[in-house]
Amino acid sequence: MITKKVECPKCKQIFTSSGNPGDTVRTPCPSCGLTGRVIFEKTFSSNISSENIAIEVSNLRKEYGSLVAVNNISFSVKKGEVFAFLGPNGAGKTTTVEMIESIRQPTAGSIKILGKDISTSFVDVKEKIGVLPQEFRSFERLTVRETLEFFSKLFKKRANIDEIINAMDLKDKENTLYINLSGGLKQRVGVAISLVNDPEIVFLDEPTTGLDPKARREVWEVIADLKNKGKTVFLTTHYMEEAEYLADSITIIYKGDIIARGSLEELISKYGKGHILHIKNCKTKEAVDVLRDNGFNVNKEHNGDIAVKIDYKERVLEVLSILRHEAVDYDSIDIRRSNLEEVFLQLTGARLSEEE
Amino acid sequence: MKLEVIWASFYTDLKSFARSRATLFWTLLFPVMLILMFGAIFSGFGETEYELVVVDFDNSTLSETFVNILNDTPVIKTDVKTINNDEILQYIKDNNIKRLVVIPQGFEQSVGMAAMDSSTVANISFYFDQSEQQSNSIVRSVVSSVVINLNMNISGGKDIIKINDIETISGEFGFIDFFLPGMIGFTIMQTCIYGSLERNTKFKKDGILRKLLTTPVTRSEWIFSKMLFQLVLSFISAGLIIVIGVVVYKMTININIWMILIIIGTNFLFTGMGMLISRFVKDEESAGMAGGVVTFPMMFLAGTFFALEQMPVFLQIIARFLPLFYVNEGLRASMIYLKTDDAIFYTVIVLVFAAFFFISGLILTKWKED
Repeated sequence: MITKKVECPKCKQIFTSSGNPGDTVRTPCPSCGLTGRVIFEKTFSSNISSENIAIEVSNLRKEYGSLVAVNNISFSVKKGEVFAFLGPNGAGKTTTVEMIESIRQPTAGSIKILGKDISTSFVDVKEKIGVLPQEFRSFERLTVRETLEFFSKLFKKRANIDEIINAMDLKDKENTLYINLSGGLKQRVGVAISLVNDPEIVFLDEPTTGLDPKARREVWEVIADLKNKGKTVFLTTHYMEEAEYLADSITIIYKGDIIARGSLEELISKYGKGHILHIKNCKTKEAVDVLRDNGFNVNKEHNGDIAVKIDYKERVLEVLSILRHEAVDYDSIDIRRSNLEEVFLQLTGARLSEEE
Repeated sequence: MKLEVIWASFYTDLKSFARSRATLFWTLLFPVMLILMFGAIFSGFGETEYELVVVDFDNSTLSETFVNILNDTPVIKTDVKTINNDEILQYIKDNNIKRLVVIPQGFEQSVGMAAMDSSTVANISFYFDQSEQQSNSIVRSVVSSVVINLNMNISGGKDIIKINDIETISGEFGFIDFFLPGMIGFTIMQTCIYGSLERNTKFKKDGILRKLLTTPVTRSEWIFSKMLFQLVLSFISAGLIIVIGVVVYKMTININIWMILIIIGTNFLFTGMGMLISRFVKDEESAGMAGGVVTFPMMFLAGTFFALEQMPVFLQIIARFLPLFYVNEGLRASMIYLKTDDAIFYTVIVLVFAAFFFISGLILTKWKED
């Protein structure tokens, strides 16, 4: 709980108001009775030095009538990192990234890109960023090369188109019309378009949504390569595997609020639950009860699979011993560490996949 | 086949349909509007009357009877004027008269003589603007019927009254002279409205406009480039239509500043109209239908394919509110009939319409999301 001193805009009376970080509390003035909103900023500690900050968002808020899509969020993105903005559909990811890209007008808050406030300096900032909007489709009847050449001509600084085509592995398709490309190739072209001005920061909004696993992998490799080239990548996604595979830093947004941030390891160690032991195709119905009776946290999954949460690896032997003692029949077992799905479950009580 | 599944699917479709006001309008109300409109044109609702100017130099009982019979027909409304014989052609030109009948002095006497002497006939003159071929053919056939009836009553069918057909403006004008400028106007309207709709709905849906917002290109640069393209496209299509007119139909077409100004104005006019339409429709499908509802009635009501006079009076009034009418008339006046005063008048109106729609479109459309 935070207590804040506020001044009534009408009678200038100074009084205190209390709320939790991230809350907006409607508070009446004790003197004149005027009711106003007091915003209690939600902050996550950032250890990035100011010269290394690529993007700095402070108390960003977006309202649509009575709906609060983004609720006073603050975060920073470090130069050269892949920053994953993770959350289920409708969490506020795209609204946030589109406010940062100046596509949407924030209700409140400030955004700085490379130290420049975008509300006053976005024209300069445009030259330094590359954007792949959500569900982007380019001009259908231009070839890949023509498309890149067109977008390149919109910028003062222009990257070498041949280099981009080669880096994106589009050489074979450079003379193919955009409309004739597969979904994965279209997304690769979308990423390529975002690089035509050799940007310092690349925004990729859900770049792999709707792609098959193979195409998704291909796009991941392209994004990983961007990081190797020193670009800062702001990646919005609702795929936890994508964030796990690519991100240096993950920020989880849920219902307009940032609920966690850190590296994958930090998030798992803070919010995850050790390891998960998967017992595949367990044929003994009593196994779940037996394990629960022994104090294990057990979830029944599909096809008779059982997931047992274990705090530390050594308890695996204990589980196996119980299974052997009770003569539980199963096909196989595997053990893996907790992932973002468990982090999200721990934080929200819901599965990320269920929220989509 | 599971009835439950069929019902669920049907109910989902029904709900989706009922929740889309645009779909409801275009699917249900628009066809009703069209039926009413075209029903009115082609089924005689709000009966069509053609004005026929009559100059009666005879002022006899027979000439009055002739005029009265013409006036009693449901198709013709006579307007008797007093004009000197040598001023008739000038009067037709000055007042843009489409058709006029002259009953010469001594008409009644000539009819009496012709009834007795089969070697003589009494003539009336029918002046007509050949570019108004469809409406004039209707009026001409009614006048002929009246003359045949008179011949029948007076002489039992002998041709004692004959009609001299005299073409006005120029004998070279035909339906194609009327139609070709209309087609130029219509084509420009179509390409501009649908081009504008594509830029403002499909590009929005595909994220192209959002992408452009993040690049240094300005909205005015983008719109200007698109207008330039539309202008080039319009001049190419107008040029193609003109070439066909000249080569195939041996038309004489005048290219002048008024025609060029009208084409430029038409571009801005209908591009602006496209912007306005796209401001109020959300998706591509609705935009296409909305484009149809604007272009389709204009195609028929604005004098593209047939003259306004063939339509009921109330539709003629509606046509005066349709920008394409002024485009078509302006192009005809400048390219074909060489009526400079009319060309200037219509050019000014087209440019005023263009300014209104383009500026409104610019103000009301936006790239930024809410």
